[in-house]
Amino acid sequence: MPDGRKEIDCSTAIAELWDYLDQELTPERMNAVRSHLDRCAGCHPHLEFAQRFLDALHRCRGENAMPEELRLAVLSRLRKEGLTS
Amino acid sequence: MDDAAGSGSAEARSEFEKQVLPWMPDVYRFALSLTREPAEAEDLLQETYLRAFRSWQTFQPGSDARRWLFTICRNAFLRQRERQRREVVEEEGDLDGSASFLLHARMQSDGSDRILSRVDLAPALNAALAELPEPFRSTVILVDVEDQSYEEASEILGVPIGTVRSRLFRGRRQLQEKLIEYAKDAGFAAAATRDGGSNDA
Repeated sequence: MPDGRKEIDCSTAIAELWDYLDQELTPERMNAVRSHLDRCAGCHPHLEFAQRFLDALHRCRGENAMPEELRLAVLSRLRKEGLTS
Repeated sequence: MDDAAGSGSAEARSEFEKQVLPWMPDVYRFALSLTREPAEAEDLLQETYLRAFRSWQTFQPGSDARRWLFTICRNAFLRQRERQRREVVEEEGDLDGSASFLLHARMQSDGSDRILSRVDLAPALNAALAELPEPFRSTVILVDVEDQSYEEASEILGVPIGTVRSRLFRGRRQLQEKLIEYAKDAGFAAAATRDGGSNDA
């Protein structure tokens, strides 16, 4: 890849959108997709949609908190096995 | 067995406490995503930590303890479920960001995309995640909730990276479909019914 700023079209950028947001593309492809998304008004709403979706999904972390009693139960079981603390 | 943390040195036990115990909430979330039932997730968490404690000597110093725990958890779950393992037929063919694009275009056309900026979607997505079938659910949880890379998830799940990618994209698409239903139920898709849409709220 002599040219990391190779132009890509909308359909390619959209096809690679998930890989781009997951940072799973090569640096050259990351640059190419970023450069397209930065200047394409048509693709931007789709980028925003995907980002908001992933952000909301990530916030699910807070939805399933572990009960404190469970932590204590696991520690108690481990102590019987020899854990000291 | 002799080198397990329980019967090993105080140093080994201390390392176990330092590296493994802090990840309990993360492993619980992952266990819950696998079992869907809090009571089963609690048993699975106990089982995971017990196995981890007994096999601490197999942990590679310097490697990622959380990933190691996820792997133990997944294996323990599969063993528990071996008899009743659900067979999910994975669709053939590849799926990429275009599927999400088409779905978003649908949401734009009926106005349901407005829900993205107006409502906290995490509770709805959490409920949708609980309904997502395996193997999509554990893949989405690992990558999107627990921040594992495709490669890390492939190690935990014991499948090639391409399979992780495919399951992830399919899982996301199914979640987005649920999001459309949620938006309609919440009254964000007024145009859909005029449109000759398939259903209404």
